[in-house]
Amino acid sequence: MSPTVAPDGGREVVLSVDGVDAGYGETQVLRDLSLSVEEGEIVSLVGRNGAGKTTTLRTINGILTPTAGTVSYRGEDISGLDQTATAKRGISLVPEERQIFPELSVMENLRLAEFGGATDDAAHSVSVDEALGMFENLAERTDNPGSSLSGGEQQMLAIARALVAGADLILLDEPTEGLAPYIVQDVMDIVEDINERGISVLLVEQNVHVGLELADRNYVIDQGRIVWEGTSEELESNRAILDRHLGVSV
Amino acid sequence: MYAGTIQSMLDVLSAGTASFISVQELLNGLTVGMVYVLLASGLSVIFGVMHVINFAHGELYAFGAYFAAAIVTPLGGGTGFYVALVVAPLLVGVMGVAIERFTVRPLYGRDPLYHILLTFGLVLVLNDLIKLIWGTSPRRIARPEYLTGPIEMVGMTFSRYSFFIIGFGGALALGVWALLKYTRYGLIIRAGAQDRRMVRNLGISIDRYYSLVFGMGAALAAVAGLIFTAGRGQVVPGIGFDIIISAFVIVVLGGLGSFRGAVVGGLGVGLLQESIIRPGVPDLQLPLVPENVLAPVNMVLGLLPQLEGMVIFVLMIGVLIFRPRGLFGTEFEEDSGELLTGSSGGFLTDSGRFKLGIAMIGLLALVPLGSGMLPSPLSVRLIMTMLTWGLFALALDFIMGYTGLVSLGHALFWGIGAYVSGTVLFNFTESAFVAAGVALLVGGLVAWIVGYFSIRVHGVYFAMITLAFAELFHTSLTKIDGWAVGFCETTPVCSAEAARDIQLTGGSEGLFGFSSYWGLGGVGVELEEIGIFLGPVTLTGDLLLYYIILGVVVASFFITRRMLQSPFGAVLKGIRENEQRVRFLGYDPTVYKRRAFVVSGIFATLAGVIFALNESFVSPEAAEWLKSGEVVVMVILGGMGTLFGPILGAFTFFGLEALLQEETLFGPFIWAGSLVGLGGPIEGVSATVAERWRLFLGSTFVLFVVFLPRGLVSVPELVQQRVPTRFDPTNVPADPEGGDD
Repeated sequence: MSPTVAPDGGREVVLSVDGVDAGYGETQVLRDLSLSVEEGEIVSLVGRNGAGKTTTLRTINGILTPTAGTVSYRGEDISGLDQTATAKRGISLVPEERQIFPELSVMENLRLAEFGGATDDAAHSVSVDEALGMFENLAERTDNPGSSLSGGEQQMLAIARALVAGADLILLDEPTEGLAPYIVQDVMDIVEDINERGISVLLVEQNVHVGLELADRNYVIDQGRIVWEGTSEELESNRAILDRHLGVSV
Repeated sequence: MYAGTIQSMLDVLSAGTASFISVQELLNGLTVGMVYVLLASGLSVIFGVMHVINFAHGELYAFGAYFAAAIVTPLGGGTGFYVALVVAPLLVGVMGVAIERFTVRPLYGRDPLYHILLTFGLVLVLNDLIKLIWGTSPRRIARPEYLTGPIEMVGMTFSRYSFFIIGFGGALALGVWALLKYTRYGLIIRAGAQDRRMVRNLGISIDRYYSLVFGMGAALAAVAGLIFTAGRGQVVPGIGFDIIISAFVIVVLGGLGSFRGAVVGGLGVGLLQESIIRPGVPDLQLPLVPENVLAPVNMVLGLLPQLEGMVIFVLMIGVLIFRPRGLFGTEFEEDSGELLTGSSGGFLTDSGRFKLGIAMIGLLALVPLGSGMLPSPLSVRLIMTMLTWGLFALALDFIMGYTGLVSLGHALFWGIGAYVSGTVLFNFTESAFVAAGVALLVGGLVAWIVGYFSIRVHGVYFAMITLAFAELFHTSLTKIDGWAVGFCETTPVCSAEAARDIQLTGGSEGLFGFSSYWGLGGVGVELEEIGIFLGPVTLTGDLLLYYIILGVVVASFFITRRMLQSPFGAVLKGIRENEQRVRFLGYDPTVYKRRAFVVSGIFATLAGVIFALNESFVSPEAAEWLKSGEVVVMVILGGMGTLFGPILGAFTFFGLEALLQEETLFGPFIWAGSLVGLGGPIEGVSATVAERWRLFLGSTFVLFVVFLPRGLVSVPELVQQRVPTRFDPTNVPADPEGGDD
């Protein structure tokens, strides 16, 4: 359980995925996939539809169990643990569909996160009041049911909920999907804000621009394998990779 | 002061409603409604959080009443009643927790339909357990002096106890509401009812709360059972059976999973039944609205009392068609857990199984020839029953095992088969062919109509809507004669004498003693008139009917099997595997499912016809929901999706019954016991077992659902794999939620 230190003697490795195979039933999606997130980093995972991005997050979070390889969190092997157990360790999934409880009020959505959440590590615990302080829109609508929020507000609430749950590592699945461009900027600001609090972020994005702008490091995933790794500057200048694995031009 | 307020409230009420509903009737409605609220709220929340449809909820209600009777009897109506009010719900709550732990829990992750099957097994177990412990005669429940007798207000007398039920039930419901609204547990339970996976993502082990929810729901049901039966003064067996269907109606109307829905639905149904439909309402007289506009409205209102018991099912069907989520429910997303169909692997090869089947048919064909040598003269009758139900189960399997739609209303078709052929034989012609033809036509038509409305909804909603149609038919059986008489008297079509003799369904008694001949237009033979002499055996009457039934079942098996081997069958199997993909291939699944439903309905009707011909009587029991449940049990017992499995299931079901009833099982034990002087007690045990065979059947079934969900037909494969009595773990989805990908 001793903290793992990155080879270069830099920051502590928060999350380390080593040679993981995973999938649904007999369909294997991830093949020998490895990646890592260091303390306080924003790491983005980019790739085409169906490349295995969401599956990667689900395997880390414990909805899926890897059939080979290990997932470790701050040096502890968490490969076999379920969603509840990983959440208790400070790993918080913000799913693509946001999954706001439609009939609970904004306040109740946050209070629920307060009841659950991380028990091990209180370093990043954010109170409900603090979270509401960060999201003005939400603070005005604490009594409104989750179903009455707009897409952007739901995304904010999903992130706020992860913070209140005491997230130490946030797994952020497509946070800007389906949002208007001006709200995309708001969401990006928020992600930078929470990162400044020392929370590590593993970000899955279809929108390569968002990933490039936010991330310290990028992984490109294709057909369940990591095919490239590097900084945003390196990725931006590597046209071959962008064309071949992402089908976009920047 | 307090009394004055109530007084003035009642004054206002009686003034405002006197012309429409009396205060007395309003009070009756609220009283019954409050009992419904307590019963339905637990049922609804259990469904919302765990996605379990708990048929055994009615039995927990009954247990509440029986525990109370057991407590009140020695302690007396004063303190005893209040002690019971606390202790009985606690005991039932503990039962609920135990049921969740040991039977429901192993099934999470499988299709929710397995919970229906499981809890149906529990109904059989708990219902017989009550009879075993407390006997079948009514039990008295006394009330405290203070809560009996009338109370006088505004010049009218009311039952004091009604006020107690409304007050106490209301306070309890309010308490539950506050618990759900303002406590941590309540918040987690409400969130769980909306999205279990996200609750887990937040680090909350929702599974730990399941027992609590189940226990609380059980305790509320117990309170409902207690306060209602104490009002009647006694508790009788079967009260759970009778009320559970009403509870389902309420839960569906209010919205599956919604507490608020259960409250509004419960009070609404109570008021509708007791305050509006039962007493009937006087003609509406509105100023400004012309008489000829009001006349048809008033005519419909005037008919209401005659439709007692049916209106709620019409409402339920309407809600399921137009707004499946009910008044306050959220759209319930189906867990797509796998339905485990029978497997065809194992040491029996296809040709081996075919030979075995032929051998079985040959053996069955020989039975009547040796009827003189069989242990009991009833054996031939028993096998006829088995074959008839085998056909019924085969029919259900056609829709359940091949399209994944679980009908909880197949008793509708059995009932139509029995009643239509019965009424034709009784009233019109004694030709068995005409009777069967008319019945099959009606059965097919009804199947098309029911299918048209039901196939739009899936899974649990489909189970509920078919249940509603069957109950609608079941309730109408006792009323049809009355309608016919009324029609006769008001129209010149028939004479007054004719009206008196009408016996289409025979009311709650049913139709008795109709005979039939095999032919058309008066030309044909009665089975009693034919005798085929084969050595020492003479085949006549029942024995000939035996061969007819055997022939019909074998033919039905081969016809349905042929259908499933055709392209039509391939599409059906495709729908079961992946409906989306079938749609992309250009087939409309709805059309295929409806056709399958009609085929299934016609064969089920045929089984009902055979039943009527065999028994020469029909009664409303033929269409009650228990029949629908039993046939589902047989399908699962044998192994669904195999056609022959369900027939095997029917044989096992009745075989088990006969085994337990005929005391054959205990014969050797009684003999052995008598040698050591214990014959008497063992005989006593054996008699009890024989009488309570459903208890053992239900337990067997519960074990089947938990450990052998693929049914008897999977035994060869399991033996092959040397995995004794465990289902194949590789077939259980790895994802506890069934996966939404």
